[in-house]
Amino acid sequence: MIRTESLTKHFGEKVAVAPLDLHIKEGTFFCFLGPNGAGKTTTIKMLTGLLQPSGGRALVGGIDIQQDPVAAKRLLGYVPDHPFLYDKLTGREFMRFVAGLYQLPEDGYTESMEELLAMFGIAHVGDQLIEDYSHGMRQKLSFASCFLHTPRIVIVDEPWVGLDPKNIRFVKDFLRRKTREEGLTVFMSTHTLGIAEEIADAIGIIHNGRLLHTGTVKEIMALSERPGSLEDVFLGLTNDADLEAT
Amino acid sequence: MTPFNALIAAKLRMARHHVASVRSQSRLKVAVLTTAVVLIWAGAFAFFYLGFAWLLRFGGSGQGAFVFGELLLRQSLGIFTLIVFLLLIFSNILVAYATMYRAHEVVYLLHAPLDLRTFFYARFAECVVFSSWALAYLGSPMLLAYGISTGASPAYYAALLVFFPPFIVIPAALGAIIAILLVRVFPRAKAWVLFVVVTLGLGIFFLVAGNVLHQGTDDEQVIMSILEASARTQSPLLPSYWAAQGLMACGSHDFRQAGYLFLLLLSNAAFFLWVGGELAARQFYAGWSYLMGQDRQRIHEEGKGVLGQLERFLPWLPNPARVLTIKDIRLFWRDPTQWSQFVIFFGIMAVYIANLRLTGHQLNSPLWRSWIACMNMGAVCLILATLTSRFVFPLVSLEGRRFWVLRLAPLSLRQLVWQKFALSVATTSFFTVGLALLSGTMLRLDPLYFWLTVYSVALTNFALAGLAVGLGALYPTFTEDNPARIVSGMGGTLNLLLSVGYITIVVLIITLIMQWRVMELFDRPGLFWYALGGGLVTITALSAACVVLPMRTGLRNLEHTEF
Repeated sequence: MIRTESLTKHFGEKVAVAPLDLHIKEGTFFCFLGPNGAGKTTTIKMLTGLLQPSGGRALVGGIDIQQDPVAAKRLLGYVPDHPFLYDKLTGREFMRFVAGLYQLPEDGYTESMEELLAMFGIAHVGDQLIEDYSHGMRQKLSFASCFLHTPRIVIVDEPWVGLDPKNIRFVKDFLRRKTREEGLTVFMSTHTLGIAEEIADAIGIIHNGRLLHTGTVKEIMALSERPGSLEDVFLGLTNDADLEAT
Repeated sequence: MTPFNALIAAKLRMARHHVASVRSQSRLKVAVLTTAVVLIWAGAFAFFYLGFAWLLRFGGSGQGAFVFGELLLRQSLGIFTLIVFLLLIFSNILVAYATMYRAHEVVYLLHAPLDLRTFFYARFAECVVFSSWALAYLGSPMLLAYGISTGASPAYYAALLVFFPPFIVIPAALGAIIAILLVRVFPRAKAWVLFVVVTLGLGIFFLVAGNVLHQGTDDEQVIMSILEASARTQSPLLPSYWAAQGLMACGSHDFRQAGYLFLLLLSNAAFFLWVGGELAARQFYAGWSYLMGQDRQRIHEEGKGVLGQLERFLPWLPNPARVLTIKDIRLFWRDPTQWSQFVIFFGIMAVYIANLRLTGHQLNSPLWRSWIACMNMGAVCLILATLTSRFVFPLVSLEGRRFWVLRLAPLSLRQLVWQKFALSVATTSFFTVGLALLSGTMLRLDPLYFWLTVYSVALTNFALAGLAVGLGALYPTFTEDNPARIVSGMGGTLNLLLSVGYITIVVLIITLIMQWRVMELFDRPGLFWYALGGGLVTITALSAACVVLPMRTGLRNLEHTEF
């Protein structure tokens, strides 16, 4: 469902993402892990078409995002780490705006819009201006709008910031259910290794722009000689990579 | 290092990084921009120099007791400083509000162990730079041309540098003081009180402006009435008067008078600065925290009010253009910094229309009526230029950090920029073509002038929308949410100047052809129609270029911009 072929990004001399080859199958919950500045957000921005790659290509649902961005984006949903939204619109107006951008039929989406707003616990503030929302409420609106056009692939960049424990649990369960029951493919970047360990079908670890390892949680855990948590394995792998580099 | 110095040093460092970032820009872009800036400055200088030379031709060679041209020139400097002074006060109210209350860094600065005076003076320095750099750029050609035209001594040019700082500090301090007071008073006042106060204020302003500008005169008295009206704008109690008179005193080696006026400016600048600091120390925090703690339950129910029913008014527009248009309209009307300027724009239009009522009746000679028709065309087009420069240019930038929403949606950037173009043409045409029809009727223009005006204004709507949207996409400022600041950048200034340049060419072509006709300079009557046809084809082609070229380059720039 998501495939990258030697996907590369340079910022001047700096290699932000070295040739990256990934293949994520339909219905997979993929967690992309890496320290700060590893290249996670840059990869996500290339997958969503927000950044042009310096080399290689990104295929979403079999469509090259650079060659046919409009068709690829119809399949895609995205939740950014910082939910910058239109402050002077209300939550409902923003949902209707997104519905219009995706050209959803007028009479078809109102019900699912209300369902999503209720599901994410923001229906009661749906007629308030977004500028009055807390960070967590914006994040929830961002999630709700992302699912309005029933995407087949959802890309999420560090979604837990600003969410309370109850909502973290809800989002986790919601995404997991979608992948299991509806075949949704999720690509999530996160620093919260405990959650990744709990819900991921597959994991990729990126460090200094290079993909260190990819595989199922079990395969990644097996990389460490000593049994421990994913956090221990992650820290061990990235420390080893730092030592090799020096 | 004191906190104030640390804040200013950080700002200077940021400015230095900003300038250094030019190195990473395309060389072609930098070269085009630099050339445009230099050419525009030189063009403005030439315009003022030739204009002053023309004025000096009135009233003889200067040997007589009464030299009318020189008098006109002195009055024009006085009017210039007064207009600048009033504009600076107004722009500083907006800039001070945005800088001291709305900027993201305010929260951070208020966490720091800064006393409010230091906070005020540091933010004030930023306000001064923001609100006055355009004056330095656009005012300098006029002031230099004035000095050269009047043969001023070298002291005049030195005085320009010396008089400038206190002259800009006074309106900046007044603007900041007014902003602090408004924040303390306005949020608490009820809506109807605000409405009455604003209406009364605007009414008094336009009454005074109308009183100064309306002159019931015959053709022969026009010149004297201009002098009378311009004399009314001069008051020895105004800092603009001190600056203008001080500069002229320096130019004529009257250093005693110049020194006195400079000290007057300086002491007033220091006084208002002190008042601003004390007021900030006592009133800023209360106003700021009140703003932060305002009612957070602003409900806008679906289907209620005009903004809630926009979908019903535009059912014929297909998506995504419809939702983009509705979104733009809602964001515009819910942003007070936008509509407050819109109200002032309507005030200017009202003054203009009020003056037309008299002008149309007063001037009966065909030559003057032809001039009036052409100037009316220019005035309506300039009103349009202010609309597109202030409200249309920032449209792309205002998508800002929300651009990811649009970039993720299945729509092309081409659809987005053409939607902004169409929205601009539709809204500005409504006002300006309406104004062209109204002014043409009030001035009782001949049918030929009437329809020429309407056609030129309609065409200008397309051209200026193309320039504003195209340049807005070519020079976007995605990190800034304040439209006033977006407009005051280099891209906004370039857009304004190119818009004025376009209008000058269009009005000049039409004026030349029409004046030649009135002065019977065409050998044969048929030649006039050929010339008019050629002129119309030329301005139509120029307008098409003003749409296609900026839109294409702006779109290309957006397509290569990474978010």
